Amino acid sequence: MTRNAIKDLILEIIEDIDEDADFDTLQADKPLRDQLDLDSMDFLDIVMELRKRHKLQIPEEDYPELATLDSCVNYLEPLLADA
Amino acid sequence: MHVPLLIIGGGLSGLAAALRTARFVPDVLLLEKHSRIGGLNSYYYRNNRLFETGLHAITNYAPPKVKNAPLNRLLRQLKIKRSELDLHEQNQSEIRFLGRESLLFSNNFSLLESQIADKFPASCQGFLKLKELIEQYDPFKPLPFISAKKILMEHLHDDLLTDMLLCPLMYYGSSIENDMDLGQFVIMFKAIFLEGMFRPGGTIKDLLDLLQKHYTDHGGSIRTQAGVQRILHSGNRIHGVLLSNGEEILCDHILSTIGSEETFALLDKVSGYKILPRLGFVETIFELKEDSTLKHSHDRTIIFFNSADRFSYQQPQTLVDFKSGVICMPQNFQNLPGVPFKEVRTTHLANYSEWQNLQKENNSYSSAKEETALSSLPVAEKILGNFAQNIVYHDTFTPLTIERYTSKINGAIYGNPIKIKNGDIGYDNLYLAGTDQGFLGIIGSMLSGVSIVNQHILPRL
Repeated sequence: MTRNAIKDLILEIIEDIDEDADFDTLQADKPLRDQLDLDSMDFLDIVMELRKRHKLQIPEEDYPELATLDSCVNYLEPLLADA
Repeated sequence: MHVPLLIIGGGLSGLAAALRTARFVPDVLLLEKHSRIGGLNSYYYRNNRLFETGLHAITNYAPPKVKNAPLNRLLRQLKIKRSELDLHEQNQSEIRFLGRESLLFSNNFSLLESQIADKFPASCQGFLKLKELIEQYDPFKPLPFISAKKILMEHLHDDLLTDMLLCPLMYYGSSIENDMDLGQFVIMFKAIFLEGMFRPGGTIKDLLDLLQKHYTDHGGSIRTQAGVQRILHSGNRIHGVLLSNGEEILCDHILSTIGSEETFALLDKVSGYKILPRLGFVETIFELKEDSTLKHSHDRTIIFFNSADRFSYQQPQTLVDFKSGVICMPQNFQNLPGVPFKEVRTTHLANYSEWQNLQKENNSYSSAKEETALSSLPVAEKILGNFAQNIVYHDTFTPLTIERYTSKINGAIYGNPIKIKNGDIGYDNLYLAGTDQGFLGIIGSMLSGVSIVNQHILPRL
């Protein structure tokens, strides 16, 4: 999966969690949670959706890697290389 | 049979936990001992109609755009659309201390503020300070017990107003006598006064059916009349359960929603927790003729009342304490679609052991139930005007009724006064949610199920 495809995947998952999420002003290097008003319960949905859609088992200690859109892409790129 | 997650108890916390998990891991199994799901919030049929149990009003009302409100967080977590619930807000409710004072409140907090400004002018500034404290307080931070009563007195300097504000919050969510922990007080104050009350347009059955449908659509399964006899474990590791019919089911994780002592009993263990009184309640449903009207306060949704000098929220020495209680008129929500019935429901504190003693003597239990209805009626009539002539049917639940259908120890609807807030009762792969985890009410218990699986189970499945 390309970096752009991964980015779209994350945004699609977030839109599925909160259909009112506003991506227009989203900064890729800033924490997703603060910008989109997501709480830790919503955040877990991202992890669980990645698992459901791509059989990715993300260990709890790696959750901080998903903090920003950029860090998501960096972390997921090798894991989704063949996807 | 082997499942990744087995949930014991098909009440609202178990159903919410099951649905939350099944969204991502379908083969969840939910076991319910009774023949019907819902736990404390269920229903039964008499006289060709459905009667709800438990539900008076749902607290934690929130408009759609308030993202962080408990109701909206819960709907997101379960992926249920708001429109599926058909929400109806309360008309208005009242705290009535007979012969003393009355406070009206609604889902618009300014009504309560203006009532306090009018009737307790000396406490008005203190009340605003109290509201600030509540808005800033983190009720989930683990802290030792802080007396809410003491904090209220420090802000309001008024016994009567302190009692009046505590009355609804205790009746709708306190498992301890005559005081509340500040954290629980903050949760309940927000749930009832700052957010407010509502109900679905349909019955509790519609809500349960909706949850069940979403859950089974994701692939989850429910078994009713499936009582657990023992939880199989070696040391702190759980392997599965043995059902009352002899069947063994193996699992990776268990979520128990049946109460802490009730869970320990299945593990052949005693909790060692201090034994504190568990609060019991009686409730009488008076069904009225459809075309009948009540003389006074006919539009109120809930009336929390007290006629004693000081409000006492504790286990009475007698069967029932009629001096205080709750009157609910479930038809009094805004724009309810064609309500085919009219009800007055009365709730009072009750003593479980006194009821239990009566059951040993053959006829005295049913006659005491009848006497409870007869004694509760004039209490309600004093507030609503006479309506005895319009009653077409009535029924009374006692703590024994609740114990029989929900298996809650002593029929105590709010469970053990000692709460296990993180759901951890000392096992590697068994956690507690629901009443004894400590979030109460319909939205609270569902959030309890959701947050305990989020915290302990989903990341490890």
